[in-house]
Amino acid sequence: MRRLLMIFLILLPLITYAAEDSYQFQTKEDQARFSALTGELRCLVCQNETLAASNAVLASDLRGQIYQKMIQGKTDKEIVDYLVERYGNFILYRPPLHLTTVGLWFGPFLLLILSIGYLLYYVRKNQREKR
Amino acid sequence: MIPELGSFALILALCFALIQGTIRSELTVNAVFGQFTFLSFAMLCLIISFINNDMSVIYVREHSHHLLPFIYRVGAAWGGHEGSLLLWCLVLSAWTFAFIIFSDKKLSKTTFSTILMILGWMSAGFILFLLSTSNPFQRDFPLSPIIGNDLTPVLQDPGLIFHPPMLYSGYVGFAIAFAFAIAALLEGKFNKEWARALRPWIILPWSFLSFGIVLGSWWAYRELGWGGWWFWDPVENASLLPWLAATALLHSLIVSEKRSAFKGWTLLLAIITYALSLLGTFLVRSGVLVSVHAFANDPRRGLFLLGYIALIIGGALALYSIRIKKFFKPSQFQLFSRETFLLINSVILLTAVATITLGTLYPIVLEALNLEKISIGEPYFNTVFVPIMLPALLLMGLAPHVHWEKQSFLALWKKMGLALLLSLLLAFLLPWSLGYPFGFLTWMGISLGLWILLSTLQSLLKQKTGLNHWAMIVAHMGIAILVIGVSVNKSYSEERQVKMQPGESIMLAGYQFTFDSLDKTKGPNFESIKANFTVGNEPISAEQRIYPHDQTLGKTGIIFNGWRDLYLALGNSLPDGNWSIRIYYKPCVRWIWFGGFMLLIGGMISLLNHYQKRRGAL
Amino acid sequence: MKKYLPLGLFLLIVILLWRGLGLHPNLIPSPLINKPVPTSRSVFLGQVTLLNVFASWCEACAEEQGFLNQLAKNNKVRIIGFNYKDTPLKAKAWLKQYGNPYQNIMVDSKGETAIDWGIYGTPETFVIDKKGIIRYKVLGAISPDLWEETLGPLILKLESETL
Repeated sequence: MRRLLMIFLILLPLITYAAEDSYQFQTKEDQARFSALTGELRCLVCQNETLAASNAVLASDLRGQIYQKMIQGKTDKEIVDYLVERYGNFILYRPPLHLTTVGLWFGPFLLLILSIGYLLYYVRKNQREKR
Repeated sequence: MIPELGSFALILALCFALIQGTIRSELTVNAVFGQFTFLSFAMLCLIISFINNDMSVIYVREHSHHLLPFIYRVGAAWGGHEGSLLLWCLVLSAWTFAFIIFSDKKLSKTTFSTILMILGWMSAGFILFLLSTSNPFQRDFPLSPIIGNDLTPVLQDPGLIFHPPMLYSGYVGFAIAFAFAIAALLEGKFNKEWARALRPWIILPWSFLSFGIVLGSWWAYRELGWGGWWFWDPVENASLLPWLAATALLHSLIVSEKRSAFKGWTLLLAIITYALSLLGTFLVRSGVLVSVHAFANDPRRGLFLLGYIALIIGGALALYSIRIKKFFKPSQFQLFSRETFLLINSVILLTAVATITLGTLYPIVLEALNLEKISIGEPYFNTVFVPIMLPALLLMGLAPHVHWEKQSFLALWKKMGLALLLSLLLAFLLPWSLGYPFGFLTWMGISLGLWILLSTLQSLLKQKTGLNHWAMIVAHMGIAILVIGVSVNKSYSEERQVKMQPGESIMLAGYQFTFDSLDKTKGPNFESIKANFTVGNEPISAEQRIYPHDQTLGKTGIIFNGWRDLYLALGNSLPDGNWSIRIYYKPCVRWIWFGGFMLLIGGMISLLNHYQKRRGAL
Repeated sequence: MKKYLPLGLFLLIVILLWRGLGLHPNLIPSPLINKPVPTSRSVFLGQVTLLNVFASWCEACAEEQGFLNQLAKNNKVRIIGFNYKDTPLKAKAWLKQYGNPYQNIMVDSKGETAIDWGIYGTPETFVIDKKGIIRYKVLGAISPDLWEETLGPLILKLESETL
């Protein structure tokens, strides 16, 4: 292990070329923001991939646009709004909370609470009847 | 000649299925055998047509190419809609056949033949669907020589050989439990013996489905090139739905067998599980959803399938509504008891089913109402599905330690408190001691995984352990490992997308990836550009392949050990001479699949127990 | 009543899926419909226009071109081309081979303007009214059937609108 480390240390200065990130940001936070943002957007061409994962040309164009906008200091919301204006809500893998999506976002939790509540009530009631 | 024989075999199989469905006699056993033989023969004919490159068969032409390697020509037999439907029919008849041979001889003759009749009708429906809308043996003879369309490159992978048969063995296997439930409803009888007889027919397909899903996840991970192992794609959801329902069914059945309770609930779950299997096939084959897996579609197919599902499941649920009263029995257990815990577990699992169904079908609802077109993907499921499943994991560690009928809270706390606190503490200390940052969700996830692990091990210490108990222990620990794997992987994965050329290096998560060289190579049916890297002194290389008809496919490079995967994907070449490269560091990703594999092992142990007991009883 | 709940839910899902069979999940409606064109407004004022996205690398475009040529020849409507991610040389050669129905061509070699128009594939066609408002969008090739049933009548209606 130590020998390996030595070799590594000797080699290190020899590597003159270090590759660079395709989308370079000043801070790690911005890099993470970019990954998170492109990971939540849907590619419109090969429709079951995220913009981050897709190899489609349009996906790469849109990644470029998002990158440019981030460099210009735009917020996530501004970037998302920009894309939704052009491609519609379809591009969002996280559907926005609208009147039409209330059931989608809150339905499951409501269902869980109601059904467990009913179940406990039912077991209790049964118990009492038996007594 | 061979394709015609295949078609003919399908027609004969249909006749046998109809006989099996209509005639109540001991001879129907022969019909099952005939059906299985002719479906196997049909599948063989299809495979031979592929091996012979018989491009006059339309299905072969659409899914093969004369350069396609032998093994994928065999797998291509189920690489498209028609052939995979044939596989579906074959698997159903194989299950029926297995049922005849291995089923519990304690079942009465009437019950036995009722189950066979129900299975006969289900099989007949599917073979009819195959023959009328999706015959894989259809041919035509164009004048010019034909070049095959080729099998989609994504499918040209060993995964194609194992994943679909395994997955279908799971899906289709639930047909037996479904037929059982219908027979029980018809006869108004569902006792302990029945529950025991039913058990292997739920455990076995559940094990296959678990492992089939895991195989699919592993395949997608290697193939799709972005280091993900689950995408919440509609078709993935379609496989998770029956799995969740079957898991609920499995636990409810235990109560029915041991305490003769929850009978109506068990029957309903058996119907729901198979209904969800059928819903899955419909979603894949009808084209109502966009999916990476979806087959090319023809509206007649969707309509036929939907009609078939409506008939079978609608009929079953109507029967359930009418007959369920017979199975009602006042409960004998208190609020704080293992029964209640298992019921809550069922409710949570079904809520999870409802959530995924909602997330999968909601876009159709909005579009059908002409409201809006939306996408529902990973962010939605992570925010809604995950929190709903967390309490189920908590219960999972607890329920095996709770007494039937009645349990004192204090005694339980005394017994389990230590394990709970220990897992909370360890989940905090472990990542910290390894230098990983703290995250609340990560902590929750690892805690719950450790909690299941510790409490399961604790049950090993005190109780007398039979094979059945071991089955539970292995399966629960599988889930624990899976949960820990998912938590660590989600929290501590790293990735970089870079521009590189040979000679350059890049660091990720403490590993140095060096781009050594770029090769042009040739495979049996593709040309490829291969980027050779080394990490430390281990070689790793990724490819871009070009198949006939200019279809391209990236092949990822992966080096792994028990703790982490290093994952490399080659992108496009850039105008400035660089290559776009993606590298990923994926900790504990193998734990997820290993956990899934343990579910299969657990299922097998339980089966072993079942047959050992039966032999003992005889 | 409770015991009918599973059956009721199931029937609801079946009806939904039956409705779903008639839908086209891969076609994404444009949010730009009934909004003014995002670029080159002046070009579209005063005349009903089809803006047709094409590229020399696009196979479906070649199939569509014959019908577009017919429309142009019969003076059915003004057609403007949108050359997407292409080089002038290749585009010119392609137009020579398959015919040029366009009165004018917008060139977007980098695919940047296309993002403003929400274009995500080829061919796509926008129907734009005299005020420069996008009224309809066709995804994929225009077929004679689509023209007879939808586009033709729509364009007649738009022509009759006053500025």
